[in-house]
Amino acid sequence: MSASAARDLVVEADSSLPLVHFSVSLRTGAALDPLGADGSSRLLTRLMRRTAGGRSAEQNDILVDGLGAACSADVGSSSLGFSGMVITRSLPKMLELLAEILSKPELPEAELQLLKRETLAELEQLKESDKVLARRWFARRFFAGHSYGRPSAGTPTTLASIDRAALRQGYQRSFTADNLVCCFAGDLDNSTAEAARKTLKSALPPGGVPVDTTGDPQGVNGRRLVIVDKPERTQTQIVIGCLGTHTSDADHVALHVANTVLGGTFTARLMQEIRVKRGWSYGANSSLAHERRRHAMTMSAFPKAEDCAPCIALQLQLLEAWHDTGITQAELDSVKSYLTRSHAFNIDTCSKRASLSLDEILYDLPAGYYKDYLARINAVTVEQANAAIQKRIHPENLLIVVVGTESVIGGPVREAIPNLADSEIIPYDTD
Amino acid sequence: MSTLADTEALLQRVNAKAPAGGRVQFVETMPFGSKQQLERYCLANGLSVLLLFDDSAPVVSYHTWYRVGSRHERVGKTGLAHLFEHLMFNETEHLPAGDFDRKMEEAGAESNASTWLDWTQYNAAVPKDQLPLVVELESERMAHLVLREPQVASEKEVVANERRYRVDDDVDGAISELLWATAFKDHAYRWPTIGWMEDIQAFTTSDCEEFYRTYYSPNNATVVVVGDFEREALLRHLAMAYGEMPAAVLPIEQVKPEPPQTAERRVEISKPTVSDKLAVGYRCPALGDFDHPALTLLSEVLFGGRASRLVKKLVRELEIASEVRMFVGPFRDPGLMELTASARDEHRAEELLAVIDEEFARVCSEAVSQAELDRALARFELGMLSGLETADSKASTIGFYETVLGEPGAAFARLASLRRQTPSDLLRVARRYLVPEARSVILVRPSGDDAGDDVEEAAE
Repeated sequence: MSASAARDLVVEADSSLPLVHFSVSLRTGAALDPLGADGSSRLLTRLMRRTAGGRSAEQNDILVDGLGAACSADVGSSSLGFSGMVITRSLPKMLELLAEILSKPELPEAELQLLKRETLAELEQLKESDKVLARRWFARRFFAGHSYGRPSAGTPTTLASIDRAALRQGYQRSFTADNLVCCFAGDLDNSTAEAARKTLKSALPPGGVPVDTTGDPQGVNGRRLVIVDKPERTQTQIVIGCLGTHTSDADHVALHVANTVLGGTFTARLMQEIRVKRGWSYGANSSLAHERRRHAMTMSAFPKAEDCAPCIALQLQLLEAWHDTGITQAELDSVKSYLTRSHAFNIDTCSKRASLSLDEILYDLPAGYYKDYLARINAVTVEQANAAIQKRIHPENLLIVVVGTESVIGGPVREAIPNLADSEIIPYDTD
Repeated sequence: MSTLADTEALLQRVNAKAPAGGRVQFVETMPFGSKQQLERYCLANGLSVLLLFDDSAPVVSYHTWYRVGSRHERVGKTGLAHLFEHLMFNETEHLPAGDFDRKMEEAGAESNASTWLDWTQYNAAVPKDQLPLVVELESERMAHLVLREPQVASEKEVVANERRYRVDDDVDGAISELLWATAFKDHAYRWPTIGWMEDIQAFTTSDCEEFYRTYYSPNNATVVVVGDFEREALLRHLAMAYGEMPAAVLPIEQVKPEPPQTAERRVEISKPTVSDKLAVGYRCPALGDFDHPALTLLSEVLFGGRASRLVKKLVRELEIASEVRMFVGPFRDPGLMELTASARDEHRAEELLAVIDEEFARVCSEAVSQAELDRALARFELGMLSGLETADSKASTIGFYETVLGEPGAAFARLASLRRQTPSDLLRVARRYLVPEARSVILVRPSGDDAGDDVEEAAE
């Protein structure tokens, strides 16, 4: 087993299975989609995957299946690209296909129109998932005016405005040799990976890394409620959030540790109070997202409709108690033990190790972010954890999103939120 | 690699101090893929132990598979196996409530459990130095669980919420539940693993106690350990931790084979969906049946990936569906091949069904091509390899095949069987199982449509 990580190549070799994971990524994502053209990066990458080599989408699908491979187009706010895995015997052909995907896409009009229609159908289907709806409307309202609030899959309006010329501009903007990061894990050696990197880079036009001018989001002022109104709901989906942390913050790890006490494990405060003591929700947790810029801290739960208002009230009380009085030494010791020991499962396969190294590059994480992870967790003191909560978390500035039947839950939910500044009702089938 | 003589000497040392019920017997060694060896041991009290040494990472995965699932329940008590799985994380005679989870977390464990038709399993993956703790905790809850009314009441409410999440407010979950209830009339597969809501809410603590006494015993379980462990120390620990537990007298299972279905069953319902949905259940042989591998490949040819016949036809060419998929049941008894599809825009579920019927008629009249079969096999092979990357996924694979088929290394035998299938085999199983008269159909309309505001069932 061997590992290497230059800034444009990650390799984790492991021959225990005849399988290779691959990821070819560009360091620019949907955040750079032009205003009014949300979804263009996603359309572009999917179209490139489908029509590589001048073949039809069906021919490419048959090719990938026949290789014993899987290859998907991935688009996030900060990166885009193609990832998947392949049985070792087909690696050379998969690399040829990846080079074809990257180079000079034809972007045929007929396939673009078909892809747009498929995307619209997928967007419609997503409305059936209450969890997706809660997360979607949290992002749109919490990051309103910021690129993190824009839907990377687009909307019917934005998709309609995107044409081949816009996609070509997107290709020219992102698909340059210096913007490429290659990542391989599994049954290959460093020299094969290095040769693949050269081949893939040479498939792209020359050019530097586009400047990401995205700033930090501002979050919300005051406590704001959004009810996504959906009929016939026996249950609700709740997401409550505020601004969180940035990985370069000095207190980032301290806040991560403190959040684990609040809602990062089964024995955490949220799960114990909401699920174990009251049986209100199957799940209850909190998490700190990381992106290239500051992101959000969110709490979530999904109680039945009658328990929705008391559950929100309890979540707010727990958040305030965590903020006002902090965590204890015993809690800190317990989560440190959990976080340091469970790290073994962040690195127990070659693909997981490679993925962490790739994360460091794509998200501009501080150098050695994961290498020093355990030491930084162990160094956190209870004072640092509580200071991080005080500095970063502001329970008076929260967005509360609830998916449920408004006529049933609306009144009690509004009453359950102290100092509610405003509320909004959004029909669930809003695009 | 250890020899048989090494193993015998090791067991002599282990058994020298083991309680009578914990005396360990070596049973067999079998290949697990081309590079690894799986060892089977049995304790005198009937506990099966399967060990796979794998030092690719300094971790160990420890699974306990019980041969009890929702098929062992009865009418009025559905969902008990699943509720009980939740209760197994509670108080024991030697651990106050909450200590089990706290100790697991502080050990860095990834710990969970699941229940399905044929089995219940508990899994914990830990850094290798924490393995002794897992042996202690898992053996403790096998024999010394404490059930109290407040915890049972609270857990019933959690499970009711889980049901709302997975079924009542989830269209796909609700459709699947209705499909199985429509397709099965006698067999215990007709009720959902999570149970009917009225049954969940009616369980008593004594129901749970009886279930525990009946099914949670060493002779109804298999412990699977995969990872970087020291064999003698582990076997000694298992012998001591489980050895005092008596074997239970397991009840005779009252199996009721499903009678042959001779006419299509069709149900129409309305749900808050954005478009029509379709679910169709065709009869499917048991996982261990000779025909199961061929049907698995046929399903891949028809529904596996965008190049498959029906995804291509419905999603890409006709543009009348947003998604379509098929799941071939991996169960101990004959189950269902579950086909689900979502219509696009204003298209009706019947349009989708007509296209599916046409394609099914085609695979019943002419063999699929060798190229299609090869692609289906390659897709399966990729899925299998990616499912063997961690100690935990290997333990899952071993425990699953051991519990359903009694063959812990059957994943590889199954791959070999898949490789032997020919277009003729797929033609044979298509004709045998894609039988419209033996299928159940669920048509789902968006709420508010005139077509089906209430459940209507066509009589057989």
